[in-house]
Amino acid sequence: MNADVADVEITPIELEIIYNALTAAAAEMDVTIWRTSRSTIVRELLDYSTAIFDRNGWNVAQAARIPSHLNSMSYFLTEILARHIAPDRWGPDDIIVSNDPYCGGQHLPDIVAFKAIFHKGRRIGFVGTLCHHLDVGGSSPGSYGSSATEIFQEGLRIPPVKLVEGGKLNEPIRDIILQNVRQPEILWGDLQSQLASLHIGAASVERLAMKLGDVRFEAALGQLLDRSEAAMRAVIGRIPDGTYEFEDHVDDDGISDAPIRIHARLMVEGDELTVDLSGCSPQVMGPSNATLSSTCSTVFYALIASADVTIAANAGCYRPVKIIAPPGLCVSAAAPAPVVHRIAIGHRLATVLFGALHQAVPERMPAAYYAVSYVVTLQTVDPVLGRRVLVEIEVGGIGALPVSDGASALSFGMHNNANIPMEMIESDMPVTFLGYGLLTDTGGPGQWRGGLGLWREWRINCAMAQLSTNLDRFKFRPFGLAGGEPAAPSALYLTRDGQTQALRSKVTNMMLKSGDIIRLETSGGGGFGEAGLRARELVERDVRLGYVSAEAAKRSYGQSV
Amino acid sequence: MQVTMTEVLPVRIGVDIGGTFTDLQIYDARSGAIFGFKTPTTPEDPSIGLMTGIKEAADRHGFALRDVGFLLHGTTIATNAILERKLAKGVLVTTAGFEDVLEIGRHVRREVYALNPQQPPTLIPRDCRIGITERVRADGSVEVPLTAAALDGLAETLDRLDPACVAVCLMNSYLNPEHEQRIAEYLAKARPGLKVSCSSALSAEIREYERTSTTVLNALLIPVIAGYLDKLTHRMQAEGFAPRLLLVQSNGGVCSARTAALEPVRLLLSGPSGGSAACALLSGILGEDNLIGVDMGGTSFDVSVVRNGRVNVVMQGEVDRMPVRIPMVEIRAIGAGGGSLAKVQQDKRMTVGPESAGSRPGPACYGRGGVGATVTDANVTLGRLNDESFLGGGMRLDREAARVAIDTGVAKPLGLSVEAAAEGLLAVTNANLGAAIRLSLFEKGVDPREFTMVAFGGAAGLHAVAVADETGIRRVVFPQNASTLSAYGILHSDLIHDLVRSRVIDAKPESLAVIEPLLENLLADARARLDADAIPASDRHIELAADMHYKGQAFELTVPMRSLQLDEAALSALIADFHDLHRQRFSYSNPGSAVEIVSLRASAIGRLPKPAAKPPAAHDSGRPPGTRKVWLAGHWRDVAVWSRDELSPGATIEGPAVIEEAYTSVLLGDGWSCRRDNSGHLVAGRHQ
Repeated sequence: MNADVADVEITPIELEIIYNALTAAAAEMDVTIWRTSRSTIVRELLDYSTAIFDRNGWNVAQAARIPSHLNSMSYFLTEILARHIAPDRWGPDDIIVSNDPYCGGQHLPDIVAFKAIFHKGRRIGFVGTLCHHLDVGGSSPGSYGSSATEIFQEGLRIPPVKLVEGGKLNEPIRDIILQNVRQPEILWGDLQSQLASLHIGAASVERLAMKLGDVRFEAALGQLLDRSEAAMRAVIGRIPDGTYEFEDHVDDDGISDAPIRIHARLMVEGDELTVDLSGCSPQVMGPSNATLSSTCSTVFYALIASADVTIAANAGCYRPVKIIAPPGLCVSAAAPAPVVHRIAIGHRLATVLFGALHQAVPERMPAAYYAVSYVVTLQTVDPVLGRRVLVEIEVGGIGALPVSDGASALSFGMHNNANIPMEMIESDMPVTFLGYGLLTDTGGPGQWRGGLGLWREWRINCAMAQLSTNLDRFKFRPFGLAGGEPAAPSALYLTRDGQTQALRSKVTNMMLKSGDIIRLETSGGGGFGEAGLRARELVERDVRLGYVSAEAAKRSYGQSV
Repeated sequence: MQVTMTEVLPVRIGVDIGGTFTDLQIYDARSGAIFGFKTPTTPEDPSIGLMTGIKEAADRHGFALRDVGFLLHGTTIATNAILERKLAKGVLVTTAGFEDVLEIGRHVRREVYALNPQQPPTLIPRDCRIGITERVRADGSVEVPLTAAALDGLAETLDRLDPACVAVCLMNSYLNPEHEQRIAEYLAKARPGLKVSCSSALSAEIREYERTSTTVLNALLIPVIAGYLDKLTHRMQAEGFAPRLLLVQSNGGVCSARTAALEPVRLLLSGPSGGSAACALLSGILGEDNLIGVDMGGTSFDVSVVRNGRVNVVMQGEVDRMPVRIPMVEIRAIGAGGGSLAKVQQDKRMTVGPESAGSRPGPACYGRGGVGATVTDANVTLGRLNDESFLGGGMRLDREAARVAIDTGVAKPLGLSVEAAAEGLLAVTNANLGAAIRLSLFEKGVDPREFTMVAFGGAAGLHAVAVADETGIRRVVFPQNASTLSAYGILHSDLIHDLVRSRVIDAKPESLAVIEPLLENLLADARARLDADAIPASDRHIELAADMHYKGQAFELTVPMRSLQLDEAALSALIADFHDLHRQRFSYSNPGSAVEIVSLRASAIGRLPKPAAKPPAAHDSGRPPGTRKVWLAGHWRDVAVWSRDELSPGATIEGPAVIEEAYTSVLLGDGWSCRRDNSGHLVAGRHQ
């Protein structure tokens, strides 16, 4: 610790300017990855994040990408510094990469890369990027199977290593990684984007440090964390003291049919909040498990999003919150549990926290959203085109709010994924889309209706293809609030030789043949308030636009249209 | 009456129709003079105000309507129609099964922590979207043919819905336009009154949502723009006024009225293109290759970039969160202007904008009931803006109201003096403006220190030098006629047709057999369009470029071709240029990696004769400057106040100083000096 730092005075105005400059640096890193990456999952689906950290590894500023990544990256970086790469071994031209969930990560496809920033020979901070890579090996294409029972089946596990050391690429490490993945040239292209992004972010932060001097720079970063902490405390302080509980379930783990319980008890006391997750199910056999780092990230997302004012999101927000999650639960999985579908646990935990907060601040919390990332992975092997891997993440409807309908087919902010243009997929692999649309009657009825889910159909055009899915909400529907009703459940179908059959939510390495059609139907969002209170003109509009069928209008709203 | 390009009539008029004023710039070749003229806009039918203004200007400046050869017309009618949803009923025809692509969009959102996210607007509702049975594969071949029965069925549905316009966007039509063309041909015969727009003719590029959005906007604008042009043409005919009418496009060039009526989406983001065209022009006049144009008005700050004398153009923009996939001048706009409101958050963060007090009620100092603290209030409070002579003396500013707004809104919540609060407000604003410039230049991999800033728009003058300091820029130009610069740029525009052929091709010599016919087709199209515009051979200029990427990337860099022929040597030069550009913009390149050409582009330019304007006369009164108390860097100081009109060419002013003109003021800080050049532009430089 620099002794002078505590004495530096920085005005709120100067602090805001510094914060904006750091956020702009993260945005420059974001643009670099977006423009140069190679895989559809990064460049179209936008499954990546960039952020700036202080010298101890705590997140100070974020690009507006994926909060579920952003609020876990500090855990990764502090863990690396504490146990893997001591700060004195981390030089200015070293880049550390890792994807290890049991080192503060989330699941193997997410590779993080961190670079330290130095000013006058002293480490003053870090820049970091996280990309969801198309495939990191393992038993399923896209490294997204739903039947793994140990992490070893899920792909290559990279401990924190120097991919770049003293400015020089560590070629053997690169070669080990590329030898173990299904589309090495794509992975390497995306990883190069991450490295370029780090250089650009570091230069930008160094420029700021040069302008401020190291002491002021360090003081400013500390005060930015303090400022967000104070804002978070004020937000918590305005939530009535008390204990609020809620629960929901993930359908199953893909191995057995047993539901997975997600339970949270929120205890608000003054300006501090405790989230007790001890009531969650033990970790499961299949990959629907989350590491503690994933879980913390979800908790912070849910709390920052539900705040009554806009907070500058960073690690300062974490300080007034205590999370209780004994090791070995589905929210605090221990090695070597498989974790690739950790987001099912994360999404469900987010809705559970919203449900609990609804009891405390009913005026602003929405009903449940679709609350799962609908992950569909396909591999096609064609004699001419060769091997192609596709990872798609679809979404459903947003929950209704106390004052408005939920949006249809829109990403929840926590994972903020885009869809992949169908023409882009068709141009690169032997797949034809048969359609993509909103699904009538999937929004939960209520005074305010939940948003609609969607359907998407893929047809296979080559002799050999494999399908894996990690879906959910087939059994436990997105709940309504304040008398609002739940949304429709999700479903998956296979049509082969004219026969349609329902599939389970978690499919692993199912062999498909030419002409097979896969149809995904996603959930809508839950409704808010009694359906009988819905304004007649809104029901009429919904029927006219086909958001609600005439039969459902009669059944759910008691209105003939 | 047919006016050809070869008849040279002496007068040319550039017009920019804004929300409040219609700005005219008139060039008369007989005197070599350029006049500016302002007249109120008539929002219910802007052609009324335009014609009134032209007649008044003709009387005032002594030219006859028959002397006018060109009327170059910039308008925000298209933009306003979209923003205000003043649109006729439209129908969207899609491949069956894909009717909701327009409404589903791309899923992502910008406010990632918001609980109440909304989809981008959907301008054609679900009951007006029709799926038609047909399907083109990803190699351009037909899987499901389009039948006559399907076309008849479509006509019946259209009769029931009774739209004014139809957008057609089918899957993979960017590769094979045949089905879209057949729908258009069928409807032209069967329902001749209907306006039809096909995606393959407008924006033949991959990505179904972006192409659909662009086509829908175009179709909905056809009735708006065609209707306006009809009214304007009638009004002109009634006056015996028959210049060649050209409309300003988003790409910084102009197009014929015929093109504008068919492809009005090309006008959609044309608002800032006049200003950036003026910057490109200034680049030549000033001998500066690299300029950054900053246009700051009441609500927004627009950044455009001129590199090597050319305005930077991008291939996609957006309006009201809806993507528009056509070439347009690259503008980075942030919500920061004179009317931007400052807010102190509960955690003592001060933010400025994007909320704006607008012009009604406006900043507190306007005395129209505004109470929020704005950027203009801070400038008035600190003596930087003259409260006596705002808008050329047309408006008095209430300095006390400004002080109260700053005190209540910023100073008290932060525990600061009024002056420190106002200065802080401006510091936050200037840092945001600087960040917008850095991000614009960063995306091109270039250094701000190599750029000269051109500052225009009512509010830029007070901020430009501070923002230059913020970004390391050492030279700032305040052009003559800064408040009507856009019309001045329009006056100097050329005709530009942007043409594109999309096809993914490996960039290697074996592909030349595929590329050559595409290029020939593109060039033939380019020449045909210039023929239709009656551009003589000597005024034609065709430029080719290729959108290229490393195999796997989705975003292309547009690489100019060095000539109109592409042989093996030219192809390898093109590939080398791509690697260089990639390294410059993204800090690395992969010379060993496979490169693909995704699109071939042509800009067919019809050069219009350029006004050869005489420099304005100086009116040096010999009067010494006045002085005023201005708060600078923490102190009240006596600062010289000059009148721009009275500065003689070559006169040099040392900062700190304020230079006032009718519609704007310039603040020169310490370490800066400024001189008026022979063309009337003020050129400021940092000398310490």
